Amino acid sequence: MSALPMRIVAAAESEPVRHAVELAHVTKRFGKLAVLDDISLAAPTGSVLAIVGASGCGKSTLLNIIAGLVKADSGNVRIDGVAGKRSDDTRVISYMFQEDRLLPWRTIAANAEFGLEAESLNANVRRERALEMLHMTGLEGFENAYPHELSGGMRSRVALARSLVVKPYILLMDEPFSKLDPQMRSQMHAELLRVREQLKMTVVFVTHDVEEAIVLADRVVVLRPRPGRVRDVLTIDLARPRNPLAADVAETVRHVRALI
Amino acid sequence: MSSVPAVSSAMPARSARMSGFVRVALQRLSLVAVLLVLWWLAAQRVPAFILPGIGKTWDALRELVASGTFTEDLGITLYRVVAGFVLAALIGTPLGILLGSNRRLGHYFEPVLSVLNTVSAAIWAIFALIWFGISNGTTIFVVFMEAMPLILTNVWQGSQSVNAEYVELARSFQMSRAKVMAKIYLPTVLPYFFSGARLAFGFGWRVSLVAETIGSSNGVGYRLRQAADLVQTDQVFAWTLTLICLMVLLEYGILKPIENYLFRWKRRV
Repeated sequence: MSALPMRIVAAAESEPVRHAVELAHVTKRFGKLAVLDDISLAAPTGSVLAIVGASGCGKSTLLNIIAGLVKADSGNVRIDGVAGKRSDDTRVISYMFQEDRLLPWRTIAANAEFGLEAESLNANVRRERALEMLHMTGLEGFENAYPHELSGGMRSRVALARSLVVKPYILLMDEPFSKLDPQMRSQMHAELLRVREQLKMTVVFVTHDVEEAIVLADRVVVLRPRPGRVRDVLTIDLARPRNPLAADVAETVRHVRALI
Repeated sequence: MSSVPAVSSAMPARSARMSGFVRVALQRLSLVAVLLVLWWLAAQRVPAFILPGIGKTWDALRELVASGTFTEDLGITLYRVVAGFVLAALIGTPLGILLGSNRRLGHYFEPVLSVLNTVSAAIWAIFALIWFGISNGTTIFVVFMEAMPLILTNVWQGSQSVNAEYVELARSFQMSRAKVMAKIYLPTVLPYFFSGARLAFGFGWRVSLVAETIGSSNGVGYRLRQAADLVQTDQVFAWTLTLICLMVLLEYGILKPIENYLFRWKRRV
């Protein structure tokens, strides 16, 4: 009986860890202002990585660099082992912004489809996949509603569905749930973890909320501000599902907060 | 999750809208009736060449329709308005997008627009008469000069109001420039274009008559002047009524339905 867990640990150690996202010595300046300084971090494939830090430590810039929206001045960005230019395959990475950014003139289903419209897919296939994702994020029955008819939490779900509809291998999120009330937010957390399990995604997200980071992440990168530097990388080994009120979770949150 | 307001309230909302529609229709009909009564009362004590009665105007209208040139005149005027308007849209829209997307260009040309907007339609009509003589070109030019700045200004405003966040969103999905144009810019500019086009068409229609009174030998404007010269006030009234009916038809038969369809996503205030 006791031999089994041992073997699993041994197997895990012998296998080289694959990283979905890997940054080495990334530096970024905006004019004279140094934003990021020598950032190195890695997100193992299938894991959840949180980047936390006070405001002004370049969290969003870091995420934009990973997404390819902003270019790093120096350093190396590897996405699933491929360095340099990102492949043109849009299905690799999906970006979920801080605001839901739903297009007000589109119905919920059409908004979810938006992610697929860069490719030249058949409209029926597009609609089918969008409906599938809306189903997964609990939005059935709202396909034909317009964004202004939905609550903040539901709009957030639509944004999530739009990110997921491309079946991303990596999901990047920039404080995606910061505008939701606490109850809605923890509901979205559970939702996200469930969907991640189903789609086998790697999730990298930025937050200023330490509790959110601890509840979701396998690994937390703590940044120091002005310029953004890595202060600490912590592996969070708590059992899931994590209740923010549980003693061990609360203890870890306190510990990480002290670092910021 | 369990509350489904949009779906559960759909049916009562629809019937409320229907009864609202009926109420508005009744209001409009009663308004028409009141105006007709006022007209009838006023016509009782005024000579017919100043204010013809309802019956006389009706006879004049029937006569007009029977005369043969009625549809021709109406058609030629409509053609000129539409031609001027389409030209204005074709030229005003790209110019507006250009000025909206290039800040320096927009800043440089801004005064030109203000100047264009202050020039009276009558001045354009006189210029057109000099340049184009008695021809379709005169009226089309005047309509164009009235409509183009309106469309341009609105499209310009619209293209300045494109949300950078939506553009970034499209970029994060690696959309091409053409797709960003079609999927983000176009839907943002469309409401502005529409309100500009609507204004422009209304103005174009009105100034076309002014242009036709001096610069053409057919069309509604020309007939109006002819009737005025011969003191056929009943014919002037008949033409006016025709125009009013046409505009109402256009507004409620075409423009309103298009607007309701295009902007169905907007929150009702």
